[in-house]
Amino acid sequence: MKFNTNSNTYIIIYSVVMVVIVAVLLSLAALGLKDRQDANALNEKKTQIVKALGEDPATVAYDSVIAKAVILDASGAVVSEDVNEVFAALNDLKGSFAAERFPLFVANNGVVVPLYGAGLWGPIWGYIALDADMNTVKGIVLDHQGETPGLGAEIATPKHQAMYPGKTIYEGDAVVGVTLKKGGADKSNAHEVDAITGGTKTSDGVTAMLATCLNYYKPYFDAARAAATEVEAESNTVNE
Amino acid sequence: MASKSLKNLTGPLSGNNPVIVQILGICSALAVTVQLKPAIVMGLSVMVVTAFSNLVMSLLRNGVPSRIRIIVQLVVIAALVILVDQVLKAFVYDVSKQLSVYVGLIITNCIVMGRVEAFALQNKPWDSFLDGIGNGLGYGSILVIIAFFRELLGSGTLFGFRIIPESWYIAEGGFYSNCGLMLFPPMALIIVGCIIWAHRSFNKDLQEK
Repeated sequence: MKFNTNSNTYIIIYSVVMVVIVAVLLSLAALGLKDRQDANALNEKKTQIVKALGEDPATVAYDSVIAKAVILDASGAVVSEDVNEVFAALNDLKGSFAAERFPLFVANNGVVVPLYGAGLWGPIWGYIALDADMNTVKGIVLDHQGETPGLGAEIATPKHQAMYPGKTIYEGDAVVGVTLKKGGADKSNAHEVDAITGGTKTSDGVTAMLATCLNYYKPYFDAARAAATEVEAESNTVNE
Repeated sequence: MASKSLKNLTGPLSGNNPVIVQILGICSALAVTVQLKPAIVMGLSVMVVTAFSNLVMSLLRNGVPSRIRIIVQLVVIAALVILVDQVLKAFVYDVSKQLSVYVGLIITNCIVMGRVEAFALQNKPWDSFLDGIGNGLGYGSILVIIAFFRELLGSGTLFGFRIIPESWYIAEGGFYSNCGLMLFPPMALIIVGCIIWAHRSFNKDLQEK
């Protein structure tokens, strides 16, 4: 049996059949693996949140450190407490921020704020954990898409991230975040850490990301801080 | 296994190596060789794709209309690459994140289509499959050699484990510092050059007269 494999009819039928077969195969693969991939992506986020709190994700479960996940509006009021909605918002953090939906993880002692910004070559993101005073940094996790290995990409190393805990984000009533200072941080300044040598643009990106993202949550922080001061004032009165 | 089939497998490892003899697939050899682990996964992924695209195209070789054979090859290769990408995302998520776009770019790796066009369309499925495995291994082995030097000299680690002791570093009062140049793509090209040099010194028949 010999077809003329170069006739137009044959070519068209051949392409159609081939494309249909390939499409079915790929759809089946995508459907079959989707649950696993989604679980991986979700697990990755939870791991980073636990890491940001300074705990070891290998031994500490997400559920044991995070009390609830919420979405805030621009005034700091809670608009949703649905966990699935919060993680969905994380998938498009840029869009969520633009739509004034701010996901926040309330830990047993403090909060974890997701971050999103621009590095030198592409997006950078991460999570920063604050203590219950909404001021002291408990820990941070930073990641990037394509910063230069050995330079800008150093923001993703534990060595860089170890400099943040203990720093504070409030200067008076303003949220200033943490600045990555070129040439080395002033040790007495509570808002500065060392910038990455040779990674100035990425460092500036992290600085800008921290200032921008933390300010989105300022109304919530302010309210929490005011509540804490009141409690303190009350307990002082009682003591007197 | 007949010795002729075996030659399809072993040829590309040295004498007919796709990277250092045919100078194909250089682009990804520069991109994913900063560390060993991604280099190995990349090598394995390319091997799977070359092996199966060769196998599939060899099975189809008598029915493929020669006027659209390049498109057919591209569809087969692209489908296989997407499958590999999906599997990596599902089972080795962290590595797949590290490789990011480069898995998708296997589609454009000249080795894959080069072997389909040059070998699979003229040869039987089993030989083509072995040829694919051989070329994938040949590519992967060069990647691993490059990544070994780049990770060791550039970061002082292998597979992420520290090889060069912390105490040697200048920051810790030692005398050593990593070679930052190793982390950049040009250094991969220089290492490829050194490998080609060494390889040709041992294989005199490859030297141009």
